[in-house]
Amino acid sequence: MQDKKPGFIARMRSSMAANIIGAIVMILCVLGVLTSAISLASFTEAFKKEYSTTTYHIADTATTLINGDHLEAYLEGGESEEYLRTRRFLENYCKKISVSIIYVIMVDRSDYGSFTSIFNHVNNSVDNTSYTEWELGYKRATSDEEYRRKYKAIYEEGALYETIYSTNTTGNIHPHITTIVPVKDTAGDVAGLLCIQRPIRELRDARRPYLLTIAVSTFMVALLASMLFAFYFRSRYAMPIVRVSDEATRFAKENTKGEPLGRISRFAEIGNLAVSIDTMETDMVNHIEELMRATAEKGRIDTELSLANTIQENSIPNEFPAFPDRSEFDIYAAMTPARAVGGDFYNFFLIDDDHLAIIIGDVSGKGIPAALFMMVTNILISDRTQLGKTPHEILAEVNDIICVRNTAEMFVTVWLGILEISTGKLTAANAGHEYPAVKDPDGSYELFMDRHGFVIGGMDSVTYQEYEMHLEPGSRLFLYTDGVPEATASDGRMFGTDRMLAALNRDPEGPPETALKNVRAAVDGFVQDAEQFDDLTMLCLEYKG
Amino acid sequence: MLNINKVAENETMVFELEGRLDTVTAPELEEALKESLEGVTQLTLDFEKLEYISSAGLRVLLATQKQMSEQGEMKVVHVNESIMEILEVTGFTEILTIE
Repeated sequence: MQDKKPGFIARMRSSMAANIIGAIVMILCVLGVLTSAISLASFTEAFKKEYSTTTYHIADTATTLINGDHLEAYLEGGESEEYLRTRRFLENYCKKISVSIIYVIMVDRSDYGSFTSIFNHVNNSVDNTSYTEWELGYKRATSDEEYRRKYKAIYEEGALYETIYSTNTTGNIHPHITTIVPVKDTAGDVAGLLCIQRPIRELRDARRPYLLTIAVSTFMVALLASMLFAFYFRSRYAMPIVRVSDEATRFAKENTKGEPLGRISRFAEIGNLAVSIDTMETDMVNHIEELMRATAEKGRIDTELSLANTIQENSIPNEFPAFPDRSEFDIYAAMTPARAVGGDFYNFFLIDDDHLAIIIGDVSGKGIPAALFMMVTNILISDRTQLGKTPHEILAEVNDIICVRNTAEMFVTVWLGILEISTGKLTAANAGHEYPAVKDPDGSYELFMDRHGFVIGGMDSVTYQEYEMHLEPGSRLFLYTDGVPEATASDGRMFGTDRMLAALNRDPEGPPETALKNVRAAVDGFVQDAEQFDDLTMLCLEYKG
Repeated sequence: MLNINKVAENETMVFELEGRLDTVTAPELEEALKESLEGVTQLTLDFEKLEYISSAGLRVLLATQKQMSEQGEMKVVHVNESIMEILEVTGFTEILTIE
């Protein structure tokens, strides 16, 4: 199944380009309507002005046909010869110039509320109307206030002419214009009014094509402008942004390098955005690759270190009890590197049935360099010890061997002892190592301040001195590296040998394993959650005799 | 933390050390010494304010002692009790000139 895509309408609604283009089209449409309306209004105004002026001239010409001095007489004397002649002139004139009605009235000048008809000629064929002609002397009320006002303007204010538009008409009355001009007597006074009613069909007829032309041309221009703008906007703004947006979406999903966008727009904002996206993609992809490479590398190193740790652990005896068939002594040891591998070591083995060798050492530094150095030292010392040499000979020889190529200036402290199991005689030499702790039968653990030589690997041709001590049955010997006394709590205090001796003396008669566990527990309690900083190694021998 | 204060006068140089000289800080001292030991015939290491020295610090002492033996003299002064104990245990008292 394909993902359900949003409908066309929804897509258009959320599309930036569609929204902006839509808004522009809307603005252009409104502008078009406004332009059409304004030009139509001014067209109508000009047309009306022209039309009323023309009508005025028609009416003004008609007045010359009428003798203003005789109007009163017509009313009093009825349809005289002269009256009929004048009426014929008017009728002919009316026919020639296509006006609907031409009439002459005398208005009651007391309130202009009524008037009396003198001449009235209707030409219904002009505008398809159905007016009836008024008789001479026909009296009627003025149509409305507007007529009354205009009559008054001509009679009293000397207006040249007045025009009334009747555009909102119904039924048989069609839109028309009524122009009123004065009929003057020889004294120049207004004797009556001549009115002409003309259809303004022409206005309507002229307006329609005009409006159509204006509207169509405006909408065509608006449409064209919209299309041009849409095209311009799409190619210049929308498409670059869409491409940036698509690329960013794709990158967020796939996290792989795509086709670079480049400078896809000459507008700084969009162009910079595209370039930034390209740069970001490159950086991100490089970063991801680097991260993956580093992770793989770290995994490889972790595997190697784990293997190295196993090799190192198995290079020294680590199964206890170590000598289950020997009842004369018991031995227990533990090494805990601060890192995966360490520079501490211990070793013990039987040289022959009666001689047990015990070695403990501490290489300067930590980690892989110290571990390599430790492996070499342990093998060199163990080999020579197996050959039956004495401790001081062994240390001096190993020191000379190591010093030959020791350009890294590494060194190692070593305590080496050989126990004659049958007698309890212990022969030992100390190359810069920590003082051993010794417990006599029924006594407590105390530091044994033995004679010290220089560390191994520091300087060649160093000699080491040997010493002997006698272990009575029940005696214990505790050896350790500086990781024990120098275990550091988070506040900087060090564990020290006093705390170590106190831990040992909690159960001085216990087996070697208990001694180690007590010291370890005391160290852990002391440093709390501070990081183990140095390798930590302990060895304890119980001589049973 | 280790503060190294270097006082140089012609071919005599004094390094006053303050704090802990351990795995973390020993490389700093080694670097500082490497930079300034050229042509120095008299080197003095002042341990008055040094609180602790680890095997990594001893390594730097050993290397420096070896270099100074070839070009002049080196001495260590104002060694406190706990550091003296470390120097004795490791046998460094036998190769260093301590005053």
